[in-house]
Amino acid sequence: MAVPMHTSNRLFLPARDTRMLLIKWVVALIVPLAVFNFVWQGDALINNVILGFINPASAPVTDGQLVEAVIFIAIFYLTLLALAGYLVAADSGRRGVLEVWIDILIFTVVPILLIVATSNNLILGLALCGIVWPIYFILRRRIPFLSFLNPKSVPPPEGLRLIDSEQRAIMIGRARAGGFWFGTSFAVIWLFVDLIFFLSGQLPTELLVVTAIRTVLLPLGGYFLGQLGGMLAVRRTLAANGNGNGNHASEESSLRSRRQKERQILATSRASEETRAVVPNDLPLRSTGARNFFLILLVAFVVFYPVIDPFLFGSGTAGRLSGYNDAGYYVILALGLNIVVGFAGLLDLGYVAFFAIGAYAWGIVGSTQLGFISPIHIPFNALSGLFWPMLLVTALIAAGWGVLLGAPTLRLRGDYLAIVTLGFGEIVPVVFLNLDTLTNGTNGIVGVHSPAFFGVFWSQITPIPYYYLILALIGLTIFANIRLRDSRLGRAWIAMREDEIAAASSGVNLVRTKLFAFGTGAFFSGLAGAYYSAKLGGVSPETFGFGDSVIYLAMVVIGGIGSIPGVIVGALTVYSINLFILNSLDTLASDPTNFLHSFDQFIVNIVPGFTFGNIRNLVFGIILIVIMIFRPAGLIPSARRRRELTRAPEGEAALELGSLDVTTTDPGFEAEVRIE
Amino acid sequence: MTLFIQLLLVGIISGSVYALIALGYTMVYGIIELINFAHGDIFMMGTFITITIYSAFHITDNPPFGMPIVAALVVAFLASTILCAILGVVIERIAYRPLRNAPRLAPLISAIGVSLILEDVGKLWKGLSPISPPQIFNTIYYIGPITISITDIIVVVTAAVLMIALQWMVTSTRIGRAMRAVAQDREAAALMGVNVDRIISFTFLVGAGLAGAAGFIFLLKFPTTTFTIGFELGLIAFTAAVLGGIGNLVGAMLGGLLIGLIGSLVNLIPNSSDPNVHGFGIPHGGGAWSLAIIFAILILILVFRPSGLLGQQTPEKV
Repeated sequence: MAVPMHTSNRLFLPARDTRMLLIKWVVALIVPLAVFNFVWQGDALINNVILGFINPASAPVTDGQLVEAVIFIAIFYLTLLALAGYLVAADSGRRGVLEVWIDILIFTVVPILLIVATSNNLILGLALCGIVWPIYFILRRRIPFLSFLNPKSVPPPEGLRLIDSEQRAIMIGRARAGGFWFGTSFAVIWLFVDLIFFLSGQLPTELLVVTAIRTVLLPLGGYFLGQLGGMLAVRRTLAANGNGNGNHASEESSLRSRRQKERQILATSRASEETRAVVPNDLPLRSTGARNFFLILLVAFVVFYPVIDPFLFGSGTAGRLSGYNDAGYYVILALGLNIVVGFAGLLDLGYVAFFAIGAYAWGIVGSTQLGFISPIHIPFNALSGLFWPMLLVTALIAAGWGVLLGAPTLRLRGDYLAIVTLGFGEIVPVVFLNLDTLTNGTNGIVGVHSPAFFGVFWSQITPIPYYYLILALIGLTIFANIRLRDSRLGRAWIAMREDEIAAASSGVNLVRTKLFAFGTGAFFSGLAGAYYSAKLGGVSPETFGFGDSVIYLAMVVIGGIGSIPGVIVGALTVYSINLFILNSLDTLASDPTNFLHSFDQFIVNIVPGFTFGNIRNLVFGIILIVIMIFRPAGLIPSARRRRELTRAPEGEAALELGSLDVTTTDPGFEAEVRIE
Repeated sequence: MTLFIQLLLVGIISGSVYALIALGYTMVYGIIELINFAHGDIFMMGTFITITIYSAFHITDNPPFGMPIVAALVVAFLASTILCAILGVVIERIAYRPLRNAPRLAPLISAIGVSLILEDVGKLWKGLSPISPPQIFNTIYYIGPITISITDIIVVVTAAVLMIALQWMVTSTRIGRAMRAVAQDREAAALMGVNVDRIISFTFLVGAGLAGAAGFIFLLKFPTTTFTIGFELGLIAFTAAVLGGIGNLVGAMLGGLLIGLIGSLVNLIPNSSDPNVHGFGIPHGGGAWSLAIIFAILILILVFRPSGLLGQQTPEKV
């Protein structure tokens, strides 16, 4: 699509349009925030914290938790204020107000309302979103009347490169206004609500002081944080000098050979990816800068989750946390398998073997079993402290077995490799089952110790320490995954995945690279295994079957092979479908007031003994097939896979190439193209 | 020695069931390079259909031989084969055909999905606990110290007839030639006028039909079935297909027989805690380790023959 020339005029809007921008983003941010605070329990969190400070005796939480809650609230609101500034500054103003508001409604307000509607069940609410969002996507794609909602792929405006210091100052000014007005409007709404509550006698008088302070602080903070957000946005603009496209025409004439055409297509896809990073942006909510804000919010939410949970989701925190802890080791397993399958392209159907090895390694050392099978007797109270060094040792043991079991597969390709890994996956549990002297056979190992750490009370019934342990392990795994992917080894894996012969002839040592892939993948499942046995307090040989290996593989493929965020999402999706959603459906169906109850009765009349838990695999299977048919590359495909699957049409190429900071004919171009 | 021969017989009988299931795996793999994880569950459906037909004919244990029993057997065999064949075609149409050009792992995951669905359908249909078919033939012959029941003979003969018929169809008929053409080069076959989609459907029809027949045969010999049996036997049958060289029909038969023999003969390995063997052997005896030994042998064979026993070494293309 050609860019009309007047777009560059619209880049810096007149005052009336700035007002429009302010209204657009202030409303877009305030509505979800208000729904969060007043429909859900968002303000209960704050009020309880304040009450806790005023009257510590009546507080439902301890002092430490209070401080944590305060930190979370601070991060949450400060990030939102800065985000408001960023969005106002980063918006190119080319997308209509209505479209943005509807998007915001669908992607923030609807989830919150669904969570509230499912009696504060986070997983079930998000699962319903998983139904609502695809419907929305289909509707706006299929119905012509709604097609204006589709984000259009408009190339960056021609004037993009010409943002000088004066225009930057304008952007920062707009950001300041954005933060200020967002803070002000929110303070006013909140003041209003508080006054109503106060007049109806539901608000303690002490809180009025807080209300007053807040009403002053919010606009003030908004002013400065908005400026900060604006400065962050300005950093993502392209400088006025450099990378001119003066020789564009001559470039075009030289783009003759097939090789260069390939490069151009790659560059076009890359340019369309880069438009996401550049400010001013048509879709500022999806821009890279905004993603950083979302990431801060997400990390804050995950880190402080144990404190927030009782306020947002009601009683039963321990049970929920325990469930999330289990989801955590699935994430590690999926990330580990992603190294083998996603990066190195070696189909592994027996990944559960290494998980079992890890679980048994800590299971034997961390219980009295080691004393039975060897003369080593570790003092009982030293066992727990031993967990930390053993975590590393366990992972290394698993990695060692990964290399050992990987060795026979070196000559094999494709499905023969898959069947050998499957074979190991079957052999290892049988060995654990039958070597009674080592592993206590069918009975498994019981009484495995929890870790101990700086006087924190660890036991199988207190999930919070485990929550932070698994969070740390996941963080470590993600970090290692990203670093490995971008390392020399990771690039060798990817080269091998794409074409073994080409990789070998480019100097990749296939034997070493493959063995490293198996070893590294097994390392992480060893970590997960040690965590698993420590959390469960025991190991049993029946828990490691081929079915589990298949589930791990499904996590990787559903999420998007080779894509780290995709695999995490895949693991959480599969885990929650499997263990949360259907169980919650049964709970709901057993409640006679729920509409699911009559539906359930209806089916039970036809199929006796029907429960939702009973058709877990049926539902899971249908979801697997549907996802594979409609998103064969996974929920969040890796950037590389996306480039391969959706290549930009050739006509647009010349237009968008200008936004690259290195042109396709530059020698440095290929070094710039990121591998994923 | 008696024990050895007896185990050899058991091995051949279970091996012929494995071989029938393995044929389905190998046919599908040969033609679209997909590990059809749902195949074992189609076999499970075959056993369930057979049991349903028996109970519809009110067959009980040790029925008097006569018209009703022959009719029930024929109907059960046909129903199991035909319904499973149709099931196979439907699965291909719904779950695999839309993914013909998707990334390589997508149809694999979709196959896993189908397998899970079939398992739960089986669970809802026949319940969680194992169910037993009526034992129809109980005539036993003695050859010296070795016992052979008439069922054993029927199982082996039926399996052999089916395999020979399949081999004949693939090598000597027009449609068999089309199947081989599609397996070799799908695009070239399409250019020669072969309707590729129809041939792939036909392959699923035949493969799933064989699995249904295997379900019927299995129930003649083995006393129980349950909704997970497809998964367990499917795994072994798939291994058999790979052992023989996946994509190769004779290989699948050979692999099935070998795995049946290995699985049966490992029972000769004594239990190390048995006082008669003076510490020779392995804990719990060979039977407990059969799966591990099967896979260990498979891995050993693949290390030395990376494409299976009869599989062709495909040259690496650049």
